[in-house]
Order: sequence, then C-alpha cells, then structure tokens
Amino acid sequence: MTASPTTQMRHDPPAATGDGRAASHIRLDGVSMTFDGAGSGAGSGAGGPVVALEHVDLTVAEGEFVALLGPTGCGKSTLLRLVADLIHPSAGAVTVGGAPAARARQANRFGFVFQEPALLPWRTALDNVHLPLEVVDYPDQPPRQRCLDLLESVGLARFADHYPHQLSGGMKQRVAIVRALAWNPPILLMDEPFSALDELTKAQLQDDLLALWTRERKTILFVTHNIAEAVYLADRVVVMSPHPGRIKQILPVALPRPREPAMRETMEFLAMVREARETLGR
Amino acid sequence: MTADATTLARRLGRATASSRIGPPILILAAVLGSWEVAVAVLDIPLWLLPPPSRVFARLVTLDTLWFHTSITLLEAASGFAVSAILGIALAAGIVHSRFLENGVFPYIIVSNAIPIIAIIPLLTIWFGFGITPKIMIVAIITFFPIVTNTTRGLKSADPRILEFMRSINARRRTVFFKVQLPSALPYIFAGFKIAGSLSLVGAVVGEFYGSDRGLGYLVITSATQLRTDLLFVAIFMLAAIGVSLFLLFARLERWVVRGDPGLEGGP
Repeated sequence: MTASPTTQMRHDPPAATGDGRAASHIRLDGVSMTFDGAGSGAGSGAGGPVVALEHVDLTVAEGEFVALLGPTGCGKSTLLRLVADLIHPSAGAVTVGGAPAARARQANRFGFVFQEPALLPWRTALDNVHLPLEVVDYPDQPPRQRCLDLLESVGLARFADHYPHQLSGGMKQRVAIVRALAWNPPILLMDEPFSALDELTKAQLQDDLLALWTRERKTILFVTHNIAEAVYLADRVVVMSPHPGRIKQILPVALPRPREPAMRETMEFLAMVREARETLGR
Repeated sequence: MTADATTLARRLGRATASSRIGPPILILAAVLGSWEVAVAVLDIPLWLLPPPSRVFARLVTLDTLWFHTSITLLEAASGFAVSAILGIALAAGIVHSRFLENGVFPYIIVSNAIPIIAIIPLLTIWFGFGITPKIMIVAIITFFPIVTNTTRGLKSADPRILEFMRSINARRRTVFFKVQLPSALPYIFAGFKIAGSLSLVGAVVGEFYGSDRGLGYLVITSATQLRTDLLFVAIFMLAAIGVSLFLLFARLERWVVRGDPGLEGGP
C-alpha cells in the first residue's frame, strides 16, 4: 500500500538492489569501459584512452532473448565480453544470477559464439563440438553421443567426420553454435553470429536459433547491426549509439511468438523495424 | 560429387608426381653424362675434376664413409634435438610472459647476429675436440629459426578460440596443448626444415676446426690432400642427408598436421 520507496529514486531504475526481481539474470550497473591509457582516471588526455562504454545499465531476465543493436564502435561487442568476464569494467559491476560475472564464467554458464565460426582446422566437426567437453564436465550423457546428438539437431550428423575446410560457411557456423551448447550452458552470448552468412543461410539459421531458444529457454544476448534480425529474434532490442558507447533506448518487441518467416512481411513487423531504425538514426 | 573431385585430384596429383620426378632425373643424367665425357675428352686431371664414375666407385668402396657419416649425423641430430626442446620451451615461455618476451628476444637476435664461425674456437677451448662442441654449435645455429617460428606459430592461434577457451574457464595448460601448440605445428615444421639444413652446416663447420672424424673432417682432409674424388663423395653424402632431412620433416608434417586445406584428409 505504501508507495515503494524505490520508485521514488530519481531516474535510475536499477539503482535499487532488485530483490523484487529474483529472476533478473544478467545485470549491468553503471558499467563503463575505457580502453588503453593505464586507467587512473586521466580521461582528459588528448588522443588517450578510448571510452567504449559509458554508464550502461541493463537487466536481462532469465530465458529472455535480448538483441544489442548498433553501429560499429557502439561497444556492443565490448558489452558482450564484459558479461562473459573476458574483460573487466573500468567502472560499475556486472552480475549474473546475483553473483559477479567471474563466478558465472568459472561455473561455465556462458556459451560464446563469434562472427566467424572460429573452429579448430585440425579437428573434425565432431571433435570441434567435443572441445568444450574436454574442459567442462557434462555428466548427463557420454561426450561422443552428446556431440553427435547436437550435430544431428542442426542437420549435420552426416558431416561429423568432415573437417572445417570441407564445410560451407553456414555449416561451420552451425558447428560453432552447437559447440557453444555442448555442456548445455544456460546463457548464450552471440557476437554477430550470422553477419558473415548469405541471406538464405542467415534466415535459416535465425529460425533454427529461435527453435532452439523455444525448446531450451536459454537466456540469449545477441549482438547485431542488422535491424530486421534484431526485431525478428528478440524480446527486447537494446539500441546503442557510438562514441562513447551508450544505450540509447530499449525497445520491447511486441510481436507474437513463435515467429515464422511469413511474419517478416507483416505490417507490425515492418513498423517495428521502422521504429528501431528511427531510434537508431535519431 | 565431392568424392569424384577428390579422386580426380588424386589422379592429377599422381600424374604430376611422376612428371615431377621425370625431368630432374633426365637433367641429372645429362649433366653426369656430359661431365663424364668432358673429363675424358678434355683430359682433365683427377685432382681437378674426377669423373662421376670415379666418384661413384669411391663412394661404394670407401669403408670409413659410414663411420664419418654417422658421426656427423649424430652431432647434427643431437644438437637439433637440444635446440628443438629448448627452443620450443622458450617459445612457450615467451608467449606466456611479456617479461620473458621483452627480456629474452634481444639476446636471441644477438645470438643470431654473431657469426657462428667466430664462436667455434671458444667452444673448442672450453670443450675440447670431441663431439660436444659440435653438438653445441648445431644447437646454437638451429636455435634461432626454431624459437622464432615456434613463437610466431604459438601466437598465430585464433584469438576467438582463445576467448572461447577463456569463456569456459579452461586452464592455461589445456589452452596451450589443445589450441596453441597444434596451431603452431605448421610454423614449427617450417622452422624445423630450415634448422635441418642449418644443423648440417653447423656440424660440418664444427668438424672443420679441430676434429678427426665426421664428413666435415673428410671434406677438409681430402681437400688439403687434393683427393678431389673423396671431396665429391663427402659433398654427395651431405647433399643426400640434407634432402632426406627435408623430406623427413615434410612427411612428418603431413602426418602430424591433419585437416588443413591443401592436404588430403588421410586415407
């Protein structure tokens, strides 16, 4: 009944320690990232440090699909690496499930997918998927069988013994995606995973990813500079602006699920894409 | 479709293999033939240029040849092994420690800049006339290509795979053996091929200076005694070893480095 005191705290939504939202999974509080220059707060030096991200607040719920959309240099890849604890913020804090991101990384909660497949050329498709299982424990299933099942799930069972150079770009990216799923991590971090693919393959992989997400309900943080892709995939589109990287606006995508290719031609979809584009260009 | 292309490629490969061996053999035969004839017709003295038939006879009848060859091989192989172990270990240290990289690299360059011949007398003073100083010379002369190539190879590992390994909290050891070292293999073998021929240079030059055995000793003594046929035998042997080493490393590389484009994916 009494007005919650947290709502009265100025314009800073995540400022309150969110006990009310235990489900909030990934959380960035006032995160800034400055590259180069030995830190020490000397931001005034001409041509010195580069501010990749400035005061970013973001909360991603468990099982949510969030797209980070923005032009080159807006710090969206940096943001992804901060969440994965591959780099450490100059200011602010990144928490996952209430604990520091480092803890989540040590607990193998992140599956990382890059723009390029980044497979090991001397390993077959199966052995590439097997790589994380040589590091992470996965007791649910014998590793070989797990890898075969995963390859099967993306239609690559026949190619298990093929080397990367014998696979097409789309096939390699599929291998890279199931490699990131091998130990069944709850969070998938994807850095422009489809941007190097042709349109048809890209559309196919987007639908595959949506099917996977519907099936397994993973939390997905998806970096892209493709507006339609962000709208098609995500629950929310985080629109970012460059120099320094900031969150411009967060657009909820109120399109129904499951989303199918036909939806791309609907007025609602196109209106949403336009809105995102306008937000981006503003 | 792919299978057809593969067989076709194989067949083409075989065709080019035989056409690759044919021409050099013809040329060799032509050169040896005209050499033989020229020596006979122009009446060139044996000490100046022995005919190939004479060199061949020498090669077959010289019973000390295998002794000298085995000494040189032993020196080259031992020095190479020492250098490979230390070189790869140092390269591993260099990619893991910026301090080591900055601290050690200038001296690796210095070690390469000093003409090896200038060090030989010093090593002889310290270690005598046995095979030890020769092994050390070989190790020193082969160290540079092995260290630099291995370092470059270890650094060639795909940074995104390194990030992936970090994102799953893989240990440094695991990353080294599963990602960095395999990435470096083609570079390591490139270094080995260079080091292989250098190891012969090192052993022979070492034997020039104070030695009573080895192919280098054979070269020096036969030259001073104007036994040119013997000199040719030694040179022939060294060439044969050099080529064999190169082929050995190429074969080894093919066997170890799998799945790379340009290589057939095994049987």
